[in-house]
Amino acid sequence: MDAWTWPQPPGPPGEVVWLAAVLVAGALMGEAIARTTRWPRVVGYTLAGAGAAAFGLHLSLPMPDTARWVIDLALALLLFEIGTRVHLRWLRHNPGLLATSLLESAGTAVAVYAVLLLLDLTPAVAAAVAVLAVPASAAVAGRVALELGADGQVTQRMTHLTALNTLYGVLAFIVFKGVQMADGAPGWWQQLLALGASSLGALVLAAALALAVARVARRLDLRHESAVLLLLGLVLLAVGTARWLGFSTLLVPLLAGLLLRNTTDRPWVWPRHFGTAGGVLVLLLFVYLGALWSPGLLAAGGAAALALVLARALAKGVVVMGLAHWSGASTRQALALSITLTPLSAAALVMLGELWLALPALAAQVAPVLLTALVVLELLGPIAVQQAFKLAGELPADGREAR
Amino acid sequence: MSLEAFAKSRDLSLGVELELQIVNTQDWDLSPQAADLMRLMQGRRIPGDVKPEITRSMIELATGVCTSHAQVVAELQEIRGALLDAARRLDVGLCGGGTHPFQQWSRQRIYETPRFHQVSALYGYLSKQFTIFGQHVHVGCPSADDALVLLHGLSRYIPHLIALAAASPFVQGEDTGFHSARLNSVFAFPLSGRAPFVTRWEDFNVFFDKMARTGVVSGMKDFYWDIRPKPEFGTIEVRVLDTPLTIEKAAALAAYIQCLARWLRTERPFTLHEDDYLPYTFNRFQACRFGPEGTYVDPSTGEHRTLREDILASFNRLEGHAIDLGAEAGLKLLRTELLDKGNDASWLRGVREREGLLAEMVRQQVLRWAG
Repeated sequence: MDAWTWPQPPGPPGEVVWLAAVLVAGALMGEAIARTTRWPRVVGYTLAGAGAAAFGLHLSLPMPDTARWVIDLALALLLFEIGTRVHLRWLRHNPGLLATSLLESAGTAVAVYAVLLLLDLTPAVAAAVAVLAVPASAAVAGRVALELGADGQVTQRMTHLTALNTLYGVLAFIVFKGVQMADGAPGWWQQLLALGASSLGALVLAAALALAVARVARRLDLRHESAVLLLLGLVLLAVGTARWLGFSTLLVPLLAGLLLRNTTDRPWVWPRHFGTAGGVLVLLLFVYLGALWSPGLLAAGGAAALALVLARALAKGVVVMGLAHWSGASTRQALALSITLTPLSAAALVMLGELWLALPALAAQVAPVLLTALVVLELLGPIAVQQAFKLAGELPADGREAR
Repeated sequence: MSLEAFAKSRDLSLGVELELQIVNTQDWDLSPQAADLMRLMQGRRIPGDVKPEITRSMIELATGVCTSHAQVVAELQEIRGALLDAARRLDVGLCGGGTHPFQQWSRQRIYETPRFHQVSALYGYLSKQFTIFGQHVHVGCPSADDALVLLHGLSRYIPHLIALAAASPFVQGEDTGFHSARLNSVFAFPLSGRAPFVTRWEDFNVFFDKMARTGVVSGMKDFYWDIRPKPEFGTIEVRVLDTPLTIEKAAALAAYIQCLARWLRTERPFTLHEDDYLPYTFNRFQACRFGPEGTYVDPSTGEHRTLREDILASFNRLEGHAIDLGAEAGLKLLRTELLDKGNDASWLRGVREREGLLAEMVRQQVLRWAG
């Protein structure tokens, strides 16, 4: 009689199995965190990723295709959404807030650059990290505020400052990359021309997306799941097109959101993060961000990353608090606001990925510092943001979830 | 605890209080930013004052003591200007209307003062349901007895005032079918309704002492009556009005009340009687539910008319008093609006019908309040 043998799997599990595993792990950790602590669920998502990385499943650059797509799409949704929440007229009525926005971004870049030079990094590396450190996290800000039901001036200002510093950061990065690539090359003006053309292309694509969404919103009730799916599809289509044509996948959704909000008066009401489908992408984004670390990376980036985090927080704190009175915020609110701006954006990761394709040598030096800072802030950021909302009195009184 | 003495005030002087909604400019839901507005209003010189109310997404403004419709308009304009400056710096909207059309009251937050927390602890969910926005009009009275006589005389016109001012058809995302759904929330409170029929202050004091002995009340503020005496100011306070969508309408309603008061005071057109209150709750319900189309039962004759007819008739009767008080512009505004679109509740329903989105309706309310 033949010996019974354990059936052999036909091959290694495919991408889908891994993706599903990531989803299950993230959702489980999120619920565990929500049950056992009062922290936001995103801490659990990030921990799930960090745990996987501890077992050697860390995400390293250049990223696999699936991860890149998930991060691109999730971030596109978040940026489009935060764009639609920026009311540019407010900056005209409150010049103190406009000044805060410009100076906190510029101050962050200068402070990070200076500190990294002091730590003996080369000017090019220091400049690259400084540019990538400008955006605050739209994901953390949006997700934590939504989950905790935060509402008030700090929440409102955090949304505006985050959207704007992401915009400045992305634009500065495009220029920085162009200059670095053109450096010394004979056809530098052609490089600049290409840069201008792709920025213009991004603007046109963004306008097309905004127009399409406005058309859809006029005719369908966006509070219904089926209409939201159409909206989600439009955003994803625009981002896919941007990637195909080589435009910035960060700029297109952010600009589209800004255009939509500021060219029409009618309110845009749809479920946050485009309902469940968008929520899945955002969850995956946090798990992936958590999985970015490895012991080697921490060792390489440690000290400089710590200096980056401190310099950045200090720069934002000084500007936001210094201009508090002019912008009509109380000192307590300004302190809370500057804390909500400390998480580092996943947009930095996307830009690092782009830098990797264009200038791999430079990107390899930037990665340890930036990724270490990103992982640390992704884990501690949501808790700090929650405490900041509490400090500002913008959470519902009973402290439970509002929705 | 006994009732304080009735202060002296100038006959037929007016004071207007408006509770306003604070909304965000994103999805136009209520936003708890009263403390921020208060901070930015500090140091601004305005007539009257601005203060926080029980929920943090509400702010109350009050004129000083005014003698005429024109003065009420001028003071309201000045206060509105200052508030709009502050609101623009915070990017929040301010608007009238008796209810917010889709806010979830379970999400409202209570303003941090001991009194508000005490009220909240006592009434529980009712106090959050009390996220409603009204206009209060004070009328000066030469004496306490005059105040009680005026109070019971004006009671006949409570349905008229409700129908004219109604501006709360939507509650928590639904069309309630009412013109003023706000008053349904007020009626849930145990001490709401009408004042007892006494026309002499000493009798009122006896009533108050009895109530105080039961431990149910400790001051006038515990009564949520449609009209109540306010001894501290030497006034009676009409409390049934929804906050109108414009300050012009608010001033016009105050002018109408002033004219009614002068007519009642000088002509004594009917004798007061406890039985006047027999159709009171019926009339009030009709006004809340159907607005100007509601049925009004005349307490003296038992005749049935529509409120619209009776309101228009009252405008004609008051013409001479309006001229003497300089209140014609106010009455004219009310008459034009009544004949044209009806009231603010009809306007709100019209916008909702046209736009299909309650958030867009709130945005247009904000535009209207800004003038």
